[in-house]
Amino acid sequence: MVDLRVNERKTLSALEKSGGKTSVEQLIHESGLPDAAVMRTALTLQEKGLVKVHEEKKTRAKLNDEGKAHAKKGLPERRLLSALKKLRGKASLENVAEEADLEKNSIPIALGWIQKKKWAVLDTKTNTLQVLERAEEGKDERILRLLNEKGQVVVEDLNKEQQEAIQVLKRRKLLNIKGKIKRIFEITDAGLAALRERKEAIEEVTQLTPELIMTRKWQRVKLIKFDVTAPGPSVYPGKMHPLQQIIQRAREIFLELGFTEIRGPLVETAFWNFDALFQPQDHPAREMMDTFYLASPKTGKLPSKNIVNSVASVHENGWVTGSKGWGYDWSHDEAKRLVLRTHTTAETIKYLAEHKKPPIKVFSVDRVYRNEQLTYKNTAEFHQIEGIVVDENVTLRDLMGTMKTFYTKFGLKKTEFWPCYFPYTEPSAQAMVYHPKLKRWIELCGMGIFRPEVTAPMGIKCPVLAWGGGLERLAMIELGLDDIRMLYGNRLEWLRRTPLCQ
Amino acid sequence: MPVITLYKERFSKFVGRKITIEDMTKHLPWIGFDLEEIGEDYVKVEYNPNRIDFCSYAGVARTLKGFMGLEKGLPAYVTKEPETTLIIDKAVANIRPFMLAGVVRNIKFDDDSIVELMEMQEDLHWGIGRDRKKASIGIHNLDVIKPPFKFTAVEPTKAKFVPLGKNEKMDLKEILEKHEKGAAYRHLVDWAPKYPLLIDKDGAVLSMPPIINGELTRVDANTRNLFLDVTGTSYDAVENSLKVLSAALADMGGTIEKVAVKYSDRTVVSPNLNPEKMKLNVNYANRLLGLELSDVETVKCLQKCRMDARKVGKGVLEVSFPAYRIDILHEVDLVEEVGIGYGYNRLKPTIPAAVTVGEQHPTHRLANSTRQIMIGLGLLEVMNFTLTNERLHYKFVRMKPEKTIRLANPVSTEYSIMRQALLPGLLNNLTENKHESFPQRLFEVSDVVKVDKKLEAMCERRLHVAAVSSHSMANFTEVKSLCEALLANLALKNWQIKEARHPTFLEGRSAAVCIKDRCLGVLGEIHPQVLNNFGLENPTAAFEIDLELLMK
Repeated sequence: MVDLRVNERKTLSALEKSGGKTSVEQLIHESGLPDAAVMRTALTLQEKGLVKVHEEKKTRAKLNDEGKAHAKKGLPERRLLSALKKLRGKASLENVAEEADLEKNSIPIALGWIQKKKWAVLDTKTNTLQVLERAEEGKDERILRLLNEKGQVVVEDLNKEQQEAIQVLKRRKLLNIKGKIKRIFEITDAGLAALRERKEAIEEVTQLTPELIMTRKWQRVKLIKFDVTAPGPSVYPGKMHPLQQIIQRAREIFLELGFTEIRGPLVETAFWNFDALFQPQDHPAREMMDTFYLASPKTGKLPSKNIVNSVASVHENGWVTGSKGWGYDWSHDEAKRLVLRTHTTAETIKYLAEHKKPPIKVFSVDRVYRNEQLTYKNTAEFHQIEGIVVDENVTLRDLMGTMKTFYTKFGLKKTEFWPCYFPYTEPSAQAMVYHPKLKRWIELCGMGIFRPEVTAPMGIKCPVLAWGGGLERLAMIELGLDDIRMLYGNRLEWLRRTPLCQ
Repeated sequence: MPVITLYKERFSKFVGRKITIEDMTKHLPWIGFDLEEIGEDYVKVEYNPNRIDFCSYAGVARTLKGFMGLEKGLPAYVTKEPETTLIIDKAVANIRPFMLAGVVRNIKFDDDSIVELMEMQEDLHWGIGRDRKKASIGIHNLDVIKPPFKFTAVEPTKAKFVPLGKNEKMDLKEILEKHEKGAAYRHLVDWAPKYPLLIDKDGAVLSMPPIINGELTRVDANTRNLFLDVTGTSYDAVENSLKVLSAALADMGGTIEKVAVKYSDRTVVSPNLNPEKMKLNVNYANRLLGLELSDVETVKCLQKCRMDARKVGKGVLEVSFPAYRIDILHEVDLVEEVGIGYGYNRLKPTIPAAVTVGEQHPTHRLANSTRQIMIGLGLLEVMNFTLTNERLHYKFVRMKPEKTIRLANPVSTEYSIMRQALLPGLLNNLTENKHESFPQRLFEVSDVVKVDKKLEAMCERRLHVAAVSSHSMANFTEVKSLCEALLANLALKNWQIKEARHPTFLEGRSAAVCIKDRCLGVLGEIHPQVLNNFGLENPTAAFEIDLELLMK
């Protein structure tokens, strides 16, 4: 069984309807296909042996100006003969030529042909011409007449005699001749058989329908094969935002490690954001150029007196912790100012004020704010990965191990922990991860053990391992970005194109 | 964070042996420096603001020498007894009450060290002085002035001198008005009837603290003897600045000589470069670091960090640390020194033993269920900032501002308030993506912030979900179907879609989603005026729901 594509079937069937053999023009007309398609299809049909291609030569002949003149007045030898007959069959060449009104240069031609056709003979001694026979119309004259009537003829369509006459006129340079190849298609037996098969398969179907399925008619139709390589229209799935995917991965890792998720307000009092974390009230990080303060509402409320008083004392003189403190007068009003939280540690310390029983393992991956201009490396809003481990005997090494596990699970295998400084942790460190593309160490996370000045006012006795790192930087490594604004630009083109994170 | 650029040739002189770029990049991170930039012949490093003593080549060198084992223990500082007197006039008590001073003799500068001295001064002004408020430094050529010196206060037009960098005399008022430094720091003095002034025996002006020095005492590469003054509003900050500065100048080769500072009620001798002492429990250090160091090993670690210690009891050390280590507040700060001396790179990471059961926050669980349904409905998630502006947030969506949460110090007019709804942000996303193919169906599950005076922070964070569908055939029916599909799959029952008016939506094509009398949110076709405001060309339908109301 031969599989026919739609165009092939149309072409074959048009060929059959045209009597099994026809020209391209006829095929185009009959099939309704564009000419290029017919030619292409016919050639593939030829390759399959379903069609034979005959190439026919068509030679068109047409009189030139001299030919046309001869057709009107008669060939020079005819005119010479007619003149000779008028002069009673015999006359001097001079007289005959004059009688025939022949141009001078035509005389030798006329004389040559009249003798060649044996219509007359020239006595060269006397230079007189003598008629030999009646001289019926010759085949060259007939074709001349035909050409004159039709304007042009196809040489191959003429009979043998006519074709010989054409050759004569051609030699006498009376014709314009142009040759052209014409293709004729002929359906083969195999072609007819293939078409028959088709006819028996009844119907071709593009779209399978419920009707075809339910009526089982699909069994009797031919489902057309598609060009599976042809491009289809694009569709875009609903998806999680790439940054959200990174957030979810970070959350999963901590959940896998047995941490409980916490969530707190975006607007905080300076008390929880700074004071409770032993950041002195004149610390540069608390300045307007780093932290967003609210104009309305402007101030909030402080927690219980117990906590506030011990935090105040820790700042002023170290309270019971043995610390020197910062040595200044702590201000309630400064602590009441409302800020957009600059770190999620504000939530962590609040959690510790309410949960004191070890072991505690909590985390958050959440939104924080810094007073930053929007640039390729900074945004005023971003996410922080935050967590703590509280237990009797946890150590700085445990903190390093926790962070190392986290980054390893993120696929970042090369981690180092360099000494660092934060006002609320001691000892402190920063998690450095080697960026293979940038070929340098980049800082991903600040960490340390909460200072006694931080834990004592909350009534926490155990060491508190704490960390807080940027999520966006991690996301940029993962997503191969060098401009952080891309993460919040919500460019549809990027969102649609970016595959899910693996 | 402050930065210092260490050129290897010059730095080698301070260390006292050849230091390569590799030496620096290998060791400096483990002392607490961040490698900012590595050049052919220099390394640019960031240091932490608590280690203000790293603001000079001398300061970095003396720490590195300890860390590399070239020198160990306390650096010794000899200070000579005072020959110079400074008198503090009572007149400064209400403006800038504290001043301490020191003298440095026989110092040899070159052009590099003058630059370094100026940078050090700026770092101290910032790090300890809080931009000159708490403390500010003046460094003078001692050879052109005559002690005793006097720190006093005078009326703004009663004194004239040539300020540093100028050619002509100006009075104090003119300096505040016309000099660059005067304009920058005038707020520190311009409220007082009299301005602080430091003069010598003959009334020659050394400086007008904390604004500007006099041209008279300019220090250059040929200066050999220095007079240091630190004035300020915090005695501790003044003392600490002087300690760090004197120690650095001593390390640069100067001889430190004390100054007798006479207040009306007492005399103080400064600078005090004697080491400070603090007790350290070895077991405390071991417990926090996860180590089992002996007393002797602990001492060795401290010595690498330029400290010394002696045993004063079982497992108890008395640690002496240099005067410039003003960052040591508590025993725990010494624990970190032990850790750094031991080497953070030698601390093997371990996993905490505690077994705990993790749990996600219920709000985030709900957020994720919502996301899953919205994605299943074929919508694409976007993430917008919670900061926005009134034009976009209220005006464009035809809403009136109500209880707006406004920033006192917005970084730009574009981000000046906290959002109370997600929808304006989503409409803005459509504006930004007008050139992309349609349909465009977007959603966001995120925070909005609303005023709630019952709370400590007066503001409540609430989880919302919002969605938009924008294409030539978008309409109420489509978005109602989406909204109801979400509610049904969040296991909600008995909700009602009620006719409701909302300025953002077309009347007759907007509704409220309610359960009994509680309104969860709104849905409908966006009003054509709103579409025009956002420059949108396609019909758009949307909904927004407060998910907090679904939490049990």
